[in-house]
Amino acid sequence: MPAPAELKALIDQMPDHEKNGLLPKDIDKERIEKAIAQIAEGGRPYVLGILDRLLPPGKGDDSKPHYALHVLGVHLSQLEDDAPRRQFGQALASRLGDDTPVGVRKYLCQELGTAGGAEAVPALGKLLTDSELCEPAARALVAIREGAAQQLRAARPRTRARNRVTIVQNLGVLADEQALEALREALGDSSQDVRIAAAWALANIGDADSADRLLKAADTHKGWERIQETKACLLLAEKLLGADRKADAQRIYKHLRDTRTADAEKYVREAAEAALAAI
Amino acid sequence: METRPRPPSRRAFLRSAALGAGLAVVPRHVLGGPAQEPPSETFAVGIVGCGGQSGEDVRNYIGHAGGAYKILACCDVDQRRLAQAAKKKFAGAEPYTDFRRLVERTDLDIVSVATPPHWHALIAIAAMEAGKDVLCEKPMTRFIAEGRAVVDAAKRYGRVFQLGTGRRFGASRSNRSRQVHKIMRSGLLEKTDAVHVLKGGYGVKRYCGRVNLKPEPCPPHLDWDMYCGPAPLRPFNRHRFGWSHRFYWDYEGAGLTDLGAHKMDPVQWRYAKDTTSPVEIRAYAPPAHPEACGMWGWAELSYADGFTIVLDGGEWGKPYEREKTHHVDLGDLDEESQQKVKAMPQPEPLLTFPQAVRTRKKSAGHAEAAHRAVAALHLANIAIRMGRTIRYDPVKEQIVGDEEANRLVNQPMRAPWHL
Repeated sequence: MPAPAELKALIDQMPDHEKNGLLPKDIDKERIEKAIAQIAEGGRPYVLGILDRLLPPGKGDDSKPHYALHVLGVHLSQLEDDAPRRQFGQALASRLGDDTPVGVRKYLCQELGTAGGAEAVPALGKLLTDSELCEPAARALVAIREGAAQQLRAARPRTRARNRVTIVQNLGVLADEQALEALREALGDSSQDVRIAAAWALANIGDADSADRLLKAADTHKGWERIQETKACLLLAEKLLGADRKADAQRIYKHLRDTRTADAEKYVREAAEAALAAI
Repeated sequence: METRPRPPSRRAFLRSAALGAGLAVVPRHVLGGPAQEPPSETFAVGIVGCGGQSGEDVRNYIGHAGGAYKILACCDVDQRRLAQAAKKKFAGAEPYTDFRRLVERTDLDIVSVATPPHWHALIAIAAMEAGKDVLCEKPMTRFIAEGRAVVDAAKRYGRVFQLGTGRRFGASRSNRSRQVHKIMRSGLLEKTDAVHVLKGGYGVKRYCGRVNLKPEPCPPHLDWDMYCGPAPLRPFNRHRFGWSHRFYWDYEGAGLTDLGAHKMDPVQWRYAKDTTSPVEIRAYAPPAHPEACGMWGWAELSYADGFTIVLDGGEWGKPYEREKTHHVDLGDLDEESQQKVKAMPQPEPLLTFPQAVRTRKKSAGHAEAAHRAVAALHLANIAIRMGRTIRYDPVKEQIVGDEEANRLVNQPMRAPWHL
């Protein structure tokens, strides 16, 4: 549906940038807010009208609709009635398909991360297997949170290379207990980044059953990976203490205290000793 | 960077004789310990980030504080800048393009973080996880949850953290500030209408980003993916790199956090707010751009006891006229409370970074204080970016009743980088 003619006039109320691209110093708050409120009243057709004017980076000047979309999302997110914001999210989600340029879809992911909600989650989930869009989609999903873990879990077996790290890490960010098996499996991944992300994720979830796996990983590896897996062990111990599983936490601390005997790891031994003394 | 000259101690002489002249610096942590006199007075330092500020914190917070140091390693994602630094500024230092290789070295005592702010927290945390004490450029973080993670890491590993702003040293030596500090710390003043206006000096118009940036070819000597790190991987444009990175939300929070860090530090100490945060934040600004930092007028940060800090940008919109500075004074208390405050000991002198490293106590700009100071500035930016008043829980460190604003408190990071 073509956007109403008034929309163009409203978008034109957005600030002009200076010749060198700098945001204007004399930016008019009242004028912009008034225009955005009017765009908001226009509902879905107006949102779609803005989306039609977006361009990928380097393909022209879309600075006014680009700005208008963001300010509109922020405006809608403060309204008591959630329906207009939801409609905004649905409109953006409807343009996440292949017929929209990748550069624009990345921007839509960003804006869904700002003001999107559960209504956009399935559409974002579909992007998780795309090599270029997995990361921006995952970023939006963890910002939204509701329903995000299910999408990440479903996409995990179908992701490759760097996107595997993105999925595993964000399952940890969301502390998704339903992903425990997959995360334990990821501890043995061929990629160091995936192994480290999985160790951190398991620790962040507070999975007591992973304690031995994490300790073994930290004991086995050297350098950066050992440092990161040791961190996971300490984090897990803290989570277990928080969950009133004192004995499980003590076991981790004692292991680190007894095994980190080299001078270079004295600080780990001391950290474990301090934690044990505080229990 | 030259080691500050000082006569060799007896221990240093014996050590160099034992180890041979080829090994000039033995890390303090290997030979010394928390409860021992350090055998080496020279701190072995690794620097991450070889730009303009690189080495400044080391000079200011170790050298000028009477500590000796030697820079053994330096790191940058720009190979050209790294090579120049390793040749001149940090001559003799081992160059690295990946900070992970630097922090995993076992012969460093201190890591100095001098990258753009979107990397500060991650590198500071990684250094502490590897057993190093940390000097960190201001602003400490890019968003609030990063600060809490730095505090947690310092606590978990018993590491010393010092932020690269030292203005609280001056405040702590002022009789006026010390009296206010004592009144506020005493807990005898339950409510106050005190206001402290921090007017101007935020570079509002100077710290302004560009929009509609066109992708440009990335210089072959720059690892752009690593530069972006936890931030979104956007097409390279030179304005996002170098000094002007400060004008983009991906990497910093404009002059409000960059220059505001210096302004907030002494005021937070004076009013004894090192362990808390504002509860209500309102701002006057035009709608913010999604990527580029822009204009703002002012922000009011009100604490639970009623004390208010005003950040008055003074460069955009109507002049700020809502409040005038009104200090806390002994007269705000009843007679009995005044006597109690007068009987309180003076605040303990703030420790310099070398003193803190040697004693394993908190330095003046320790992690919690640094986190609370920059968190207040981040909250101001969140109010500006969301265009509305926000309410904050300083214990849970969450914005109350505003899910979308809360997303800016703990922002997603690009894998493999996480807190």
